[in-house]
Amino acid sequence: MNNIDNILEVKKLRISFRTINGTVKAVRDISFDLKRGETLAIVGESGSGKSVTSKAILGILAGNSIIDGGEILFDGKDLLRISEEEMYKIRGDKISMIFQDPLSSLNPIVKIGRQMTEGMILKNKDNRKNARITFNSRLAILKENIIEVVGEDRRAEIEELCTTFDNFSIKAIELEESFNASESNAEEVIGLIKDIAFKVERKQKIDVKSDFGQIVAKSSKIVDKFLTRNHEHEALDFVNKLELAVKEYKTGEQEVKPESIELLNEYQAFLERLLGHNRPNFFRIGYYAYKNPEENIYNRAIGEFNEFCLQYLDDNFMKNFLKLVEVGVKNCSDKAVENKSKVLAELDSLKEFFGGKFTQKEADAKLKEFGDKLDASINKLDLVKDSIAYTFIGTAKLNVRDYYVNIKSNAKDQRRFDSQTAKYNKLVEKGKKPEWKVIPLKYVDPQNQIDNILAAIDRLKAKYALDIENAKIINFEEESVKQIDYFKELASQAVYKVTLGIAKEKAIKLMEEVGIPEPRIRYNQYPFEFSGGMRQRIVIAIALSADPDILICDEPTTALDVTIQSQILELINDLKKKRNLSVIFITHDLGVVANMADRVAVMYAGKIVEYGTSEEIFYSPAHPYTWALLSSMPDLDTKEKLEAIPGTPPNMIYPPKGDAFAVRNKYALKIDFEEEPPLFKITDTHYAATWLLHKDAPKVEMPKVISDRIKRMKQNMKKEAK
Amino acid sequence: MSDYQENEVLLSVRHLCQYFKFGKKSLKAVDDVSFDIHKGEVFGLVGESGCGKTTTGRSIIKLYDITSGDVYFKGQRIAAGTLSYKNAIKEARANAKAELAKLDEEVKANSLSKEQAEARKAEINAKLNATIKENKEAIEKANFDHKNCDKEFSERLLKEVDDKYLPLLEKAQDNPEELAKVKKEYATEKRIAKNSKLVTQIQMIFQDPIASLNPRMTVQEIISEGLVIKGIKDKEYIQNKVYDILETVGLVKEHASRYPHEFSGGQRQRIGIARSVVMNPDLIIADEPVSALDVSIQAQVVNLLNDLRHQMGLTVLFIAHDLSVVKYFSDRIGVMYYGKMVELASSDELFAHPVHPYTRSLLSAIPLPDPEYEKKRVRMIYNPIAEHDYSVNKPSLRELAPGHFVYCNDEEEERYKKEYLK
Repeated sequence: MNNIDNILEVKKLRISFRTINGTVKAVRDISFDLKRGETLAIVGESGSGKSVTSKAILGILAGNSIIDGGEILFDGKDLLRISEEEMYKIRGDKISMIFQDPLSSLNPIVKIGRQMTEGMILKNKDNRKNARITFNSRLAILKENIIEVVGEDRRAEIEELCTTFDNFSIKAIELEESFNASESNAEEVIGLIKDIAFKVERKQKIDVKSDFGQIVAKSSKIVDKFLTRNHEHEALDFVNKLELAVKEYKTGEQEVKPESIELLNEYQAFLERLLGHNRPNFFRIGYYAYKNPEENIYNRAIGEFNEFCLQYLDDNFMKNFLKLVEVGVKNCSDKAVENKSKVLAELDSLKEFFGGKFTQKEADAKLKEFGDKLDASINKLDLVKDSIAYTFIGTAKLNVRDYYVNIKSNAKDQRRFDSQTAKYNKLVEKGKKPEWKVIPLKYVDPQNQIDNILAAIDRLKAKYALDIENAKIINFEEESVKQIDYFKELASQAVYKVTLGIAKEKAIKLMEEVGIPEPRIRYNQYPFEFSGGMRQRIVIAIALSADPDILICDEPTTALDVTIQSQILELINDLKKKRNLSVIFITHDLGVVANMADRVAVMYAGKIVEYGTSEEIFYSPAHPYTWALLSSMPDLDTKEKLEAIPGTPPNMIYPPKGDAFAVRNKYALKIDFEEEPPLFKITDTHYAATWLLHKDAPKVEMPKVISDRIKRMKQNMKKEAK
Repeated sequence: MSDYQENEVLLSVRHLCQYFKFGKKSLKAVDDVSFDIHKGEVFGLVGESGCGKTTTGRSIIKLYDITSGDVYFKGQRIAAGTLSYKNAIKEARANAKAELAKLDEEVKANSLSKEQAEARKAEINAKLNATIKENKEAIEKANFDHKNCDKEFSERLLKEVDDKYLPLLEKAQDNPEELAKVKKEYATEKRIAKNSKLVTQIQMIFQDPIASLNPRMTVQEIISEGLVIKGIKDKEYIQNKVYDILETVGLVKEHASRYPHEFSGGQRQRIGIARSVVMNPDLIIADEPVSALDVSIQAQVVNLLNDLRHQMGLTVLFIAHDLSVVKYFSDRIGVMYYGKMVELASSDELFAHPVHPYTRSLLSAIPLPDPEYEKKRVRMIYNPIAEHDYSVNKPSLRELAPGHFVYCNDEEEERYKKEYLK
């Protein structure tokens, strides 16, 4: 049920919009989940709520939106409840979006290059700070857990070990920082040389003095001994030669002499050679350097030194430390499991409590008390945050508050309605015809909030039961190695600094990756200088620049023509595979869906009407709306009249009773107009909300157009297979 | 082969060129495109954005003054460009100059006597003058036709009206009541004939329904605008006509007094269609009429266009980039690439036997609602530089099979023929 693979979960989401004419119910109770590395397509007509859903995930809903309920769980947070400040860190960084109109998502007066690098630099700054903080807090938790097991008398020893770990990590960080700085300078110099070469190739004149000056200045910062190991003299030589070369030029723009170009080329090759060398493993070397501060560590061959340090680290520290970490992790997990079973035992009474009558004070006290227990039951060393447990208290508190707000506002509205009606009746009795009408009652059912709380309790229950079950089979040895790896990752994140120069090279690489020719010219252009397809590529590149986990594509190809569309789709598919992205793909074009999606959700009037893998949706569609969508688009063999869907989507200010699609549906049953169909299960992955699937419903076949097409498709497939 | 091939040619485009000037540079948006549209058929024009398909449509309806080539509508030239004639004059002058120079050399080498040389010179000059005169006349004629095609048309209509009413007037001489009635009718018809333009028989449907409708006009005003400009003053007639048309396109009378913003996308596009159909045109240029619409609405609009076409006997030039819709709707299809027509065939033929590499790459890019097929679909990439070598042998539009034209040179023609016969 709550699979660890689910990167994003949307639960019972309901969103409406306040407008002059009334409240538009845009999204009505939809739930879906997104697995890591898969593409989920959301299909529907305009106004079906697909864009609203995606905007809610990104927290960019319009100001007149009301979130009536539901949760969007991502990385231990409920995206609907977190502050704008927290959302700011997720948006664009963890979750990125590609909009339909590329021009509207680019700033028209800022050059493309600036727009691409902006995100990388901002994100990097934040990342470094956060990584350091997380590192420290996790280490502290781990330490306490270890001490708890081994006893207070060994506290000094453990603390020393942890301090050693921290210190040599810092040493490693220092070494890596210096290496990275020099490395990035070298990369920047290569970038500058490439720029000059590019200009020379196009026979442009350049300001040699300043350009070479920059190279010299950057080169003098390539000082890390690991990087220039055994080549210090060569590096110095090059810098001197460059300085000499500059003296031969006058100030101002001029042509570059061929010998200077040759020199630059040689220098570039040299730097590339340096960068191509084995990267030292700083984590290991850090320990060695920390223990033997006097020794010169720079003149040993890297490959061998790496191995040696590994051995040294294992023998002197890591084996011992790993065992302790294992103990600590096991302790933490055991404690959590114990607390979890306690919480689990209490959940039933909690459910009873919220199922019955309660006052606000009681509820708050209860939640506070329960919150502490829940907090204790969360394994703080978990690598993947448990969204459901983390968000539980917030959800419950908010719903309790809303419950009382609704009760109060309902009473107030009732009073208003009563007095108005009395006034109106009085006037009518007097024989007058009032020009105004009594505004009807605005009743919000408080039961909704209670339902939300109960649903959250159910989810927590299921999740904890599963966790306790899984806890029996955890391999703590592996787990502790994972922990150390995570610490290492945090440490290296804390030192990886992106400068403008590196960001530029990265941006240019990205532009190449998304298929933009001559990225070095394009880097300095404005959005209006790009054609439609190119603009969309830039937007994709920007969305990817922060290396997000989830990419939301809101009709990215609707404005483009076939060839470019298929290029962009191929690009998104490639990048998805390369980076293990999860993609939410919103579109109304079913052809595109067949190309992209692993799973498809068909939306109509704010609800998901059919949900399944793309094979199931295209080869055995079950909902009349899916039939209608499929049969209303011609394919290359269609000859007969198209089966257009009659009418237009319903006005969502007054959502129709029963099935929203019933009015336009020629297969509608009587019950469709009275009662909303639930999601019927067809297979484990395939669901559809139509009464036709009920066991008492009359047998209805899908339209002939579609069944014929499916037959034809299968035949074609067979033919090709032969 | 399409069933309409027997019908008369309604629109004939010959060597149409449309260049746009940017300072000294000029952009060849449409470069030497020729095709015929027969009465009653739907001619599809496809290609990627920026390939000149919309420009072709707009040039036909005279929204641009074409650079070179001719457009014939119902046998009459409605648009003509002059660049080709000017180029011909230039070329003739250069030729003459070269020949004269050669002659001079020959005289210097004493291989010709002076008299002979004089005679040759006169001959060359006479030839040059004749060419110049011929082309200048052609330019004048083209300019005249381009400007005055509507005038000629209305004159012809006026004459028809005269022919019809003059005997009637004479007949009604004795009856004063009848006379007044006929006179009134005569005056109205005359006014309408005077205001008629040949080009109004070609109407256009635009891509973006909301951008193409004036937000300050009611639907009635929008639809009847053309009629009013034509000179019809009978309000009742206009109203009935508008109601009729609204019904034909699937709207109701009540919609007439509303404003465009009150309609959904599909309904707006219906209004756009109503506006063009109300003028009773012979040819409709539909410029991506369904691209901006939802799938379900797309089907409604395509069905409507199909119905109208059969009801009113319309001929349609259908410009779109959604190939499945074009295939469904069109009888013949022309594929454009960077201002050139690269392939032209009946729609079944084109999809069954695409010959030009660009057409093939275009067809390989169509997404279909079939996941299995989609997973295996390989998009062919068209690279004109690697594909063709036109340095020696110049290409042109050649007929490969009956009704199937491809833009190629001699060597390619042979290759394509071989492939085609397979």
